[in-house]
Amino acid sequence: APARFPRDPLEQPPSLCILADSREISSGAEVISSLKAVHGVKVQVCSLGSSDYIVSSRMAVERRLLSELLSSGSRSKAAQQRLQRLQGTFERICVIVEKDRVKAGETSRLAQRTQHYDAVLAALLQAGVRLLFSSCQEETAALLKDLALVEQRKNAAIRVPTEVQGHQREMLSFYLSIPNLSYLAALNMCHHFGSVKKMVNSSPSDIAAGAQVSAQKAEEIFRYLRYAFDVEMLPEDLCAKGR
Amino acid sequence: PVTAASMVVPYGHVIGNEKWRGSEMAQKLQGKTRLIFEDGLGIVDFHISNRICILYISEADLVAGDEFKRRLVRFRNASSVGGIVIVEKTQISDQYFLAVQKLVVLELGMVLLPVANQGEASQLITQLVSFCISGQIFIKIQDTRRIPVREQSKDHNSNPFLRKQSSQLAEPSVFRTVQQIPGVGKTKALLLLQRFGSIHQLCNASVEELELVVGQTVARQIHSF
Repeated sequence: APARFPRDPLEQPPSLCILADSREISSGAEVISSLKAVHGVKVQVCSLGSSDYIVSSRMAVERRLLSELLSSGSRSKAAQQRLQRLQGTFERICVIVEKDRVKAGETSRLAQRTQHYDAVLAALLQAGVRLLFSSCQEETAALLKDLALVEQRKNAAIRVPTEVQGHQREMLSFYLSIPNLSYLAALNMCHHFGSVKKMVNSSPSDIAAGAQVSAQKAEEIFRYLRYAFDVEMLPEDLCAKGR
Repeated sequence: PVTAASMVVPYGHVIGNEKWRGSEMAQKLQGKTRLIFEDGLGIVDFHISNRICILYISEADLVAGDEFKRRLVRFRNASSVGGIVIVEKTQISDQYFLAVQKLVVLELGMVLLPVANQGEASQLITQLVSFCISGQIFIKIQDTRRIPVREQSKDHNSNPFLRKQSSQLAEPSVFRTVQQIPGVGKTKALLLLQRFGSIHQLCNASVEELELVVGQTVARQIHSF
């Protein structure tokens, strides 16, 4: 009987790729370096704007410090708006709650769990957001890698080259200006459609396949491209120069 | 027995497993919610709504070994309802936390919330109950499926994280998108949109048609974009 050969041991699954927002270079330097050094993940830093990390074609991850969630400060309002926008852009959102770093010599301020904090957790769950808890930046990196691995198993891994050059750069900024489109979906479009004209003339199902987005999102993009522009509806301040 | 089917929970009530009677958690919950004890909840500790229950893992459970894992897997396999796992994360049980989180969230797809003690747990459950009342909490049952029922109660809009259906006009966005075409600024974008109406029609315009609006060079640039 023909022997069944095991899979080539040298054949490795494609390496994991995670996109990180450029602001994370300063606020989460150890997350990025430990993703690269400890976990061997390819980290592409780009200006995502919308989210801290993108781990798959459908999942965005926000990194939040515990202290931010404990207090109901002015920053929480901005954070709420950010999450609302994310929900328009991504199918899945995960928030990693990370413990604040305690400086050497500083006595650990045992932060009191607040009612506000519990309400935030409940509200996030209600909004369908996944929650993970981390005690330091290194742990956050491990969690990001685990999330990317799970998404890879579900066939949603980031597979396109993350760098763009020349004409592709212009195409990318064109796609990025489409409302509620994630950076990765725009990147997928760049690599999948040879030209903008081809993309604009695609059917919703072609858009869904090319950009790797849901059918609903593809329909939204399709309608946007055919939206009948009415100058009268343009806010005054925008068209002042044009007139 | 594994009892993890959905259960009728009266509005604003929590149904607790008989084994919690007299505990610190039960006492604190009783002050804030209407807690009813019932036999035969099996592996579930609390039902906070018809479709969401809570499994509590104590510090002792974590230290004792893998029994709690079997309980979670049994729940996951048997249940038709969403499960929230509340785990006691203390100095002693901290070392087990990461592994438990990986199992519960990443492998079983359930919700995990850490607390330091029963007092914190009762405060958290109280908040969860109040959010259950104001609208259904989304809890994943199967890998990709969420409980779709979400009652549109009047309190629903009070959740700051839920996306509001925006009725914003697309004009400013379309205007911005057209300006991303090389050679096109505000003035030309406006002229082009007035003439062609949509991004789709603009992209399908011939060089000749484009030349009527913008110069030869830009017309070619747009056409080849």
